[in-house]
Amino acid sequence: METKKIFEKHKSDILSEWTEAVFSTYPFQTTGFLRTKHDPFTNPVAAMTREAAGILYDALSGDDTDVQTVKQAIERFVKLRAVQEFTPSQGLGVFFLMKPLLRKHILPEMAKGAGDVPACYLELESRVDSLTLLAFDIYTKARETLADIRIKEIRNQYAQLKRWAQQLNESSPLN
Amino acid sequence: MAKLPTPQELVASRPAFPDEAWLDTKPKFAPGSFCYPAKKETMEIMHMPNPHDWDPAADDWNLPDNWEQILCDAFAERLEKHRSLKLFMDICVRCGACADKCHFFLGTNDPKNMPVLRAELLRSLYRRDHTMLGKILGKKVGARGWDKEVVKELFYYAYQCTECRRCSLFCPYGIDTAEITAIVRELLHEVGLGTHWIMDPVKNCSFTGNHLGIKPHSFVEIVEMLADDCETVTGIRPKTPFNEKGHEILFLTPSGDVFADPGIYTFMGYLLLFHELDLDYTLSTYASEGGNFGSFTTFNMAKKLNAKMYHEAERLGVKWILGGECGHMWRVINQYMDTYNGPSPACMEVPKSPITGTVFENAASTKMVHITEFTADLIRHNKLKLDPSRNDHIITTFHDSCNPARAMGLLEEPRYILKHVCNNFVEMPENTIREQTFCCGAGSGLNTEEIMELRMRSGMPRGNALRYVQQKYGVNHMACVCAIDRATLPPLADYWAPGVTVSGVHELVANALVMKGEAKRTMDLRQEDLPNVEADDAAEQGE
Ligand code: SF4
Ligand code: SF4
Repeated sequence: METKKIFEKHKSDILSEWTEAVFSTYPFQTTGFLRTKHDPFTNPVAAMTREAAGILYDALSGDDTDVQTVKQAIERFVKLRAVQEFTPSQGLGVFFLMKPLLRKHILPEMAKGAGDVPACYLELESRVDSLTLLAFDIYTKARETLADIRIKEIRNQYAQLKRWAQQLNESSPLN
Repeated sequence: MAKLPTPQELVASRPAFPDEAWLDTKPKFAPGSFCYPAKKETMEIMHMPNPHDWDPAADDWNLPDNWEQILCDAFAERLEKHRSLKLFMDICVRCGACADKCHFFLGTNDPKNMPVLRAELLRSLYRRDHTMLGKILGKKVGARGWDKEVVKELFYYAYQCTECRRCSLFCPYGIDTAEITAIVRELLHEVGLGTHWIMDPVKNCSFTGNHLGIKPHSFVEIVEMLADDCETVTGIRPKTPFNEKGHEILFLTPSGDVFADPGIYTFMGYLLLFHELDLDYTLSTYASEGGNFGSFTTFNMAKKLNAKMYHEAERLGVKWILGGECGHMWRVINQYMDTYNGPSPACMEVPKSPITGTVFENAASTKMVHITEFTADLIRHNKLKLDPSRNDHIITTFHDSCNPARAMGLLEEPRYILKHVCNNFVEMPENTIREQTFCCGAGSGLNTEEIMELRMRSGMPRGNALRYVQQKYGVNHMACVCAIDRATLPPLADYWAPGVTVSGVHELVANALVMKGEAKRTMDLRQEDLPNVEADDAAEQGE
């Protein structure tokens, strides 16, 4: 079977298994909610995860995927993981959870019963690595933004006070 | 040789079925998820009970020796005093309608952030001491006793609730988890547990009248500075009447709009509007704070801080009070003020707009009118000359702040104004606005920078809806009628929808307001270039 067809065949299984794996990183009592509610605004975590799953999968299956487009598409999901109560490895590691799924569903078909792992499959796994690296950039940027907005907020709170104090200083006879 | 964990082990570390019940899983006090504690001196000077040094991250919170007795007594007293609380404790049927309505839950997926379980933290204690079944059957019916870990847990989750009341909207019984949170916070203050970000403004308001504790003369000077800025933009220097007796109106607004960017532009908007109307009004340095951080601590503190509104109205002899764009200020006024500080002073009358003659019957009791009610009425009667094209560089949406929306039903007026002062107005998805609005994630005194990470989680549902209209309709601005929002939404937008700016409604009003005798406007209140200006010039030259 040609690669494209293999990917099409397993799409829904892999997507649902991967989103399931991501949902399982949240507390047990709440995964049911994530699974069952589909409104993008009142269940945003699930919506972001599902969106990321689709994009991720398409990027893995196609070879000419535009980096910028992929980055934009997974941005919301990575930013979410970056501020939730996860260690960085837990936040980003979800991308690697794709690998066991690919090995389960895609590898056997690509290898066609032959014992060896075909080069095309190894390339596929490398694409998981590349996507994770792209996500790493987004993650780091998100954490930097977090630090920046803290500083900016403090500055804004006292903005006029500072301006007023500076004026006083300028008009001081000691100047 | 030690084995490295696999990615699966690293990522999905929780067991498929947890071995302890949700109520037994205790929160971790990780930095970024809790507010700094109030200083002992602050608690002392405010005569708060049991002031002491403590650290939320430490094992021991140095509670007073008889902490359990204090809490049990205080809880019993509150149950006696507030029938609503007793009702809320008794009638929840655990239907779960509220469970997924809280932005903290949506952002954290922590089960204890489901409103029903947040309330259950207190309800379980209630069951043991105040219900027959709980007394006999204990844990079997979900009752539990107090211990120090429970106190910590109450603190953790009472400060992961912004008292926004979104959940109560969906509860078939109208159970208001915000009120339960307010009670939990009150109980915690009884054993000396408060947060710095709330208690410091409370202290400042008590001693100097505003959140930052700026002395009256300096406060006036800063306002003068803003009036100078108005002149730079419009060529007109609005008057800044302070503490003057005998005017018709006292204008009161959160002090954040005098000190903080971008709130100051909204304040400048007020000054310009009042100047254009030649409004008979005064500001006050004593009542220079509309906000009430006391309402995030105890009912008595809220009452005390709120009292200065009527004191000052009486001292200055005004007929009614016009209030600025603030969130919780209006919750207090609309829901509690009559009980706290009513009836209003004898000198006050049912507010009547001096410009249009409209009588604000809705404010007959409190004598306080929201500025968007006032301005919407002006526009409705064609009393303002507006040029909305000055806001053409803006495609704005409107964030319903929780308190004006859910605690006073102020939904139409700000929209009515926005549609008259801007040509481009876009709503966010309907299950995220009006009564169903999502909180900014940092109300009720949680707008402090040390929990920025938590705020980005709790504000995510709002940020997500904003990002949606940004991408779909090119929205680049979000207007709101709350000073806390003007502080909390910019970082939220920077994180979830970078490129969206935030302002109050009256900043946009003043931008569009064509004033008598004004200089040609080339910049907006932020002193940034206005759109269409060069085109106009070219047209003039061509004539
Ligand atoms: S009041 Fe708001 S923050 Fe508190 S539990 Fe309800 S929805 Fe959550
Ligand atoms: S919606 Fe009301 S009755 Fe139902 S679980 Fe929530 S608080 Fe209880």
